[in-house]
Amino acid sequence: MGSFEQKDPGPIGALATTVGGVMYMHSFQGGATLLSLGLIFILYTMFVWWRDVLRESTLEGHHTKVVQLGPRYGFILFIVSEVMFLFALFRASSHSSLAPTVEIGGIWPPKGIAVLDPREIPFLNTLIPLSSGAAVTWAHHAILAGKEKRAVYALVATVSLALVFTAFQGMEYYQAPSTISDIIYGSTFFLATGFHGFHVIIGTLFSIVCGIRQYLGHLTKEHHVGFEAAAWYWHFVDVVRLFPFVSIYWWGGI
Amino acid sequence: MWRRSSSKLLALRSIARPNRIVTPSPSPLTLRPSATVLSRHFSGNVSKKVEDVMPIATGHEREELEAELQGRDILDINFPEGPFGTKEAPAVVKSYYDQRIVGCPGAEGEDEHDVVWFWLKKGQPHECPVCSQYFTLEVVGPGGLPDGLDEDDDHHHH
Repeated sequence: MGSFEQKDPGPIGALATTVGGVMYMHSFQGGATLLSLGLIFILYTMFVWWRDVLRESTLEGHHTKVVQLGPRYGFILFIVSEVMFLFALFRASSHSSLAPTVEIGGIWPPKGIAVLDPREIPFLNTLIPLSSGAAVTWAHHAILAGKEKRAVYALVATVSLALVFTAFQGMEYYQAPSTISDIIYGSTFFLATGFHGFHVIIGTLFSIVCGIRQYLGHLTKEHHVGFEAAAWYWHFVDVVRLFPFVSIYWWGGI
Repeated sequence: MWRRSSSKLLALRSIARPNRIVTPSPSPLTLRPSATVLSRHFSGNVSKKVEDVMPIATGHEREELEAELQGRDILDINFPEGPFGTKEAPAVVKSYYDQRIVGCPGAEGEDEHDVVWFWLKKGQPHECPVCSQYFTLEVVGPGGLPDGLDEDDDHHHH
């Protein structure tokens, strides 16, 4: 009754990922395998879904002005939901840091926790996303002006800066003096910066896809909703970076 | 595949947007995008062809663009305007198919009533049960049943 793709394969990936994840975290046999398979399946679902969106919009012309409003508003609302999520994580950090409990010495950072100097990698890693945001704005202007080659270069710059950020952040994590298990400081620090980093990776992938599409000529100056969504997401990610930098790295280390 | 999707899109629009007869103001029910292609061109330099505006346009998007360059809006069919429909001079509602959902809000000002919905079918003029406004359908498209209505056996889903 039709191929598997015509029925929604999403739930299988979600089920495998969640069950596998729980199994893995509780050291059940086969958990890691199931988790990996689930994640791969989810990525596959995402790929075929968005491939179909590109087919229907760019290649078949179904995305008239009115249809475009759907993805536009939808994506804005998605970003708002992401803001809520990250807000919760930063609130968790503030909750513990503004009134440090006696168990950790009544001070923040807690007694015994060594913090990173915010003027070193963290500062650089704040300037890099901001520059990357500027690059994506450059790319947008290039697309609007019809300068297609320049838009590709601008997107390459955006993605390169993003990859450098991720590399530095990975290095910082490797060299960090504390871990996620190091009482509440480590928990909030790594959750907030970790999820931010995860969003950076998602945004980087989105920008890479936009770069490829721009190179292939999908994006026109009249119609580039996918690129606009990527740019909004990217600005959201780089603005969000300011929050952990100020409240966790800088203020949290004083 | 293309045709089926396009007819589904038109059917969605017919169902989602009711007709407002006798309202000269723009319909509040739609999210009509305000920036149009034409508004960005200088008055003395209007491009004539779709290729100048968006070379890779295809399908519905191309139709919409062509219409815009000619000064029309393809969604106009959803906002019919006119005097109060009577038996001698009925309110004409256009449709791509043989039937569509129509809503009657009554006459102007004090004679307005809560919107009454009904299917308006080809060859079957309809009278509003509240204000007796008379409607007829004018088929301007391929005709037939709107997509989704003519599948008696539920053998496949989309």
